[in-house]
Amino acid sequence: MASPIHHVIIGSGSAGFGAAKTLRAADQNCRVTMITMDSLPFYQRYALPQIFRGRQDWRELLEVPPAKYDELDIKLRRRTRVVEVDGSNQIISLAHQETVAYDRLLVCTGGRSYLPENLTSQVDLIHSFGSYEAAMQVFKDLPKGGSVIMIGGDMIGIDLALTLLDSGYKVTLIANQQTFWPHDLTAKQQKPLLKALEAKGMIVFSDSRPIGVSDKCTNSATRCVTLEDTTEVLGDVVLSFCGLSPAVEFMLGADVDIERGILVNPELRTSNETIWAAGDVCQIWHDTEKTYKFYHGWKNVRMMGELAARNMLGGHDIFDVNVEDQIGVEPDGQLKSTFWTH
Amino acid sequence: MNEHVEPVYLEEKLEEIRADGHQGYRSKSLPTWCPGCGYYSMAEGLTFALRRLEIAYKDVVVVSGIGCASRFPFFFKTYGFHTLHGRVLPVATGVKIANDALTVVAVGGDGDAFAIGGGHIPHAARRNIDMTYLVFDNGIYGLTKGQTSPTSAVGFKTSSTPYENSDVPLNPLMMLLSYGASWVGQAYAGHQHDLADMITQAMSHKGFSFLRILSPCVTFDKTDNTYANLNLHVHDLPQDHDTSNLMAAMQAASQTDKPALGVYFKDDRPTLAQAMNATATRASGTG
Amino acid sequence: MMNRTGTDIQIAICGSAGDGTIASGDILKRAAALMGFNVIAFDVYPPEIRGFGKCISRVRISSQQSYSLKQNSDVLISLNDTHAIPHVGEVRDFGAVIYDDNLIANVPEGGHISGHIHPAQIPYGFSIRQISEQATNSARSRNIVILGYLAELFDLPREHFRKIIRDKFATKPRAVTDDNIKAFNAGLLAGSGVFKLDDVVVQKVDAKGNGADAEMMTGNGAVARGFMEAGIQCYFGYPITPATSIMERLAVEMPPAGGKFLQTEDEISAIAAAIGAGYAGTRAATATSGPGLALMAEMLGLGVMAEVPVVVVVSQRGGPSTGLPTKTEQSDLNLAVFGGSGDAQRIVLAPTNVEGCYRCAGRAFEIAETYQTPVIVLIDLYLSNRYETVIPSAHKQFAAKPRVPLAPNGDGAFKRFELTENNISPRAIPGEEGLMHTVTGLEHNELGRPNDAIHMDMNTKRHEKLKPAVNFPGLTVSKRFGDEGKVKVGILGWGSTFGEILETMYEAQAEGISCAAMKVVMLSPLPVESIAAFFADCDEILVPEVNYEGQFANIVCGALGKPVSRLNQTNGAPMAVADILAEVRRLSGKKPKTGQSDTFTEAAL
Repeated sequence: MASPIHHVIIGSGSAGFGAAKTLRAADQNCRVTMITMDSLPFYQRYALPQIFRGRQDWRELLEVPPAKYDELDIKLRRRTRVVEVDGSNQIISLAHQETVAYDRLLVCTGGRSYLPENLTSQVDLIHSFGSYEAAMQVFKDLPKGGSVIMIGGDMIGIDLALTLLDSGYKVTLIANQQTFWPHDLTAKQQKPLLKALEAKGMIVFSDSRPIGVSDKCTNSATRCVTLEDTTEVLGDVVLSFCGLSPAVEFMLGADVDIERGILVNPELRTSNETIWAAGDVCQIWHDTEKTYKFYHGWKNVRMMGELAARNMLGGHDIFDVNVEDQIGVEPDGQLKSTFWTH
Repeated sequence: MNEHVEPVYLEEKLEEIRADGHQGYRSKSLPTWCPGCGYYSMAEGLTFALRRLEIAYKDVVVVSGIGCASRFPFFFKTYGFHTLHGRVLPVATGVKIANDALTVVAVGGDGDAFAIGGGHIPHAARRNIDMTYLVFDNGIYGLTKGQTSPTSAVGFKTSSTPYENSDVPLNPLMMLLSYGASWVGQAYAGHQHDLADMITQAMSHKGFSFLRILSPCVTFDKTDNTYANLNLHVHDLPQDHDTSNLMAAMQAASQTDKPALGVYFKDDRPTLAQAMNATATRASGTG
Repeated sequence: MMNRTGTDIQIAICGSAGDGTIASGDILKRAAALMGFNVIAFDVYPPEIRGFGKCISRVRISSQQSYSLKQNSDVLISLNDTHAIPHVGEVRDFGAVIYDDNLIANVPEGGHISGHIHPAQIPYGFSIRQISEQATNSARSRNIVILGYLAELFDLPREHFRKIIRDKFATKPRAVTDDNIKAFNAGLLAGSGVFKLDDVVVQKVDAKGNGADAEMMTGNGAVARGFMEAGIQCYFGYPITPATSIMERLAVEMPPAGGKFLQTEDEISAIAAAIGAGYAGTRAATATSGPGLALMAEMLGLGVMAEVPVVVVVSQRGGPSTGLPTKTEQSDLNLAVFGGSGDAQRIVLAPTNVEGCYRCAGRAFEIAETYQTPVIVLIDLYLSNRYETVIPSAHKQFAAKPRVPLAPNGDGAFKRFELTENNISPRAIPGEEGLMHTVTGLEHNELGRPNDAIHMDMNTKRHEKLKPAVNFPGLTVSKRFGDEGKVKVGILGWGSTFGEILETMYEAQAEGISCAAMKVVMLSPLPVESIAAFFADCDEILVPEVNYEGQFANIVCGALGKPVSRLNQTNGAPMAVADILAEVRRLSGKKPKTGQSDTFTEAAL
């Protein structure tokens, strides 16, 4: 008897977990391994703002209870960094010197938070919100009713900002072209939306670029952001929400085509026959636009994961439904989006 | 000649002996051995030695195993411990270690010593515990009414060797010499005065002294170790025997057909108590 | 899970022989004791003496009294993944697994522990080896690095660790201590930025201020300590697992204290010499395991017959014969209570924890002297080798009272075995004036002379004299725990298993089962009255024992004429609380409960 086929999924977000469930549902015998750098089992990054609504216990954020992995016979390897994928020999090298062989590989490592280049030298002074641990650090470092300075303000950031405002914190937004990412909006298009945010109590700076972050502040504030026009914005925590850039470094030697993200065909397969990619990490060939495109938003991402899984099992489904989030201002002046539920 | 002999009355005789003080070491229990048994002269020998060495009754502990010889402690007015078959040496070791001021005499027969108790002898010997071990060797199990023992001769017929014993007998002197006993001697129950003197010498030795005492079993051995046979074969060690020469001692010990009597070997080396004191000094960091 | 307030965590450190696993656990347990926590710890060594076998040190740190190790550890630290991987499953849900995630050698797929951690457990990987090498130029301080990491992660007081590290290496060159402190500090630093995801909680306020008084002891160490405090004068021993460390401890401590210590040629001579020394009036003891006790059985009979005080510690292991030398068992009860020829009743004490080892060993001489008979202190490997915190200063009361010799008996007819009202005869020891006598293993009259006719009277004397022992002052002979009055289930236990029994009882109570437990420390003579009173209160009686035949149950049933339910296991391991609890539930008529994961509620996202 041949040994069961081994599906390995790198990444444990919406796409990865969706794919794992789909693989298991379709094939009771295959091996499914998920590899993630996270310490926790799958939880919704989009749910992290809930921490400010009293849900600090990570167990309450989990998408499924840990026992579900047993039930689905999914092997979850956490805190594990992939350093290299050997696409021709189908071997994954892990940072701790272990190797894992795969038959089919799905990469859905998503994106990591992008930081404007002129601020990278001050990265230590900027909090991250990309994981539960990072989010909890923000929660700890932010005094009750304290003030957050947000650079950029993509949709995840805006979601957090609205939650913070609701929960009695102050938020200052330093808007830029990534504000409302992944919506690609002009400054003019942004204007009414920013106004709606100001109506919510947010302080918005939209005319000047941040040029430096410091913890040597004039008053009791622990952080100050200097803008190009010399304005000093004071607060307790600085966060950057400037969209995501795909996490693909480990795939460089994997014999797959990469542009910004991993390039896949509409079936989500890469240029390597045994490797697929899904979610924020991949760019999908658009037949009519003749270009590789990113599709963001958790609905798209989950769909991609499930679709990739079906195709890994021999299907030929095509990604052709782009569920784009909508954003706008309601007649009552409220900001509305399909992305969140504020 | 029918010369009139005054009758000897036991009570009167005992009075006389008591008055002399010689028998003060003896308890009210009279020995239960068969008439003519060699062990009587050994009891007498120990009594003589204790008196000669002027050891107080209260400071003497006679420890024995099980067997005819091991009945010994009951007949002495000292402290006594009649232990288990073969275990005289370890119990005596415990008594001596517990109180070094006591004079400890271990007593047993050949079965008790060399059969069941054989494993303990090397260790008592090598540790050089300051005690005297008297082994009354009659080459037979008397208390159980005549079975072969580790020192019975080949060809000896007993109730357990009805078709003759085929096991080569042990050589106790050779064993003790190679075990590192610091005093090894041999005596004969038929030579009562010499025996008493040998026991005295053994007890005077500072360290582990082993005295083998050849004795007949008048009840169960009518053929081999009889007084008649032993009288014929035993002789004294040569006058010039060097008691500090282990090889000479072994040479003499190997002559089993004509057993020589006397002190085979004598070595003055630290006793267990001295070694323990040295250990305590080292352990206390004062050495 | 048991509803205990405060701190109650168990840490398992697993490595290969040579990784310093046991040393690491040793520092951890001593530091925790110094902090003032209650500590129970148990080390598992490989059966091979040298080589690369598995070592595990488990340390339970609690603010309240705990009675056994926990079934599930809260934290597992791997110093060797091959050995640690099979133990990942013992870590509870939401507990932590700490390991090295920066190896130098390649491992095959499945060879790294991170791939075996359950989704409900929290992985903490860090560069253990690299940090060790950076701190001390050697990978050998990995075992100290992990302690620093642990101290930082669970916020354990650092200064206590540093003190214990300094103490531990006090006899080594200064550089050794310095290196270990460096390694500890490097571990602290490594742990300092780590976000804590598990729910392992140490509350420092729970650490009582008694840290300086509390000492970490093994059962064997406690026996030796009790002996020393009782002023033991003579010890004779023969090496045998798992009793050897008693001998090794006394070999160190007795000579400078004026005690006489001798390693004998076998177990027979060990007890024989102890009996000789007991007869000569000293406090004398030996220690052995089951096979040694079998050899000692005849001598025990002599001790009973000649009425000589002597103390014998027996640490049981798996049997029969050579059996399972490195595994625990409670199957030498019959031998300890009955072993030997004839009707030879002796006193048998079975402590249930380390402090009990200390108290029973300390008190044993006085009991042996009072009743002029051998006393057996019956423990087992699990108790011998496990560590607990003991506060010894409260009990320094074992020393012998000065002996007052009897008046000389001028006529040489001292009745050493006189039939008296309380059946205890006057006793003289060699060297005492005018009281000379001979003792014997033969049946004897009052003077000690061989006599068969008096056998019935003497048998009566030897048995009757022991009866008051169940009321011996300063000794807990039996004790009831749990619900007062009538209960549904009563658990009767002895020896090391009683720890698991108590933990079971508390869990059963938490589940609403009316439950009580009784420990019996004196197994011979049996405290029949208190056991009978306990039986009268319990609808059901359960007797869990780590032996096949139910030896204690048999003794109790025989003495009380009442049936009991038995739970007998011989897996080479202590009995699991879960197994006893299952029996208690069954006897109480309660449905079995499902495992721990059912406490998790699915997130509604």
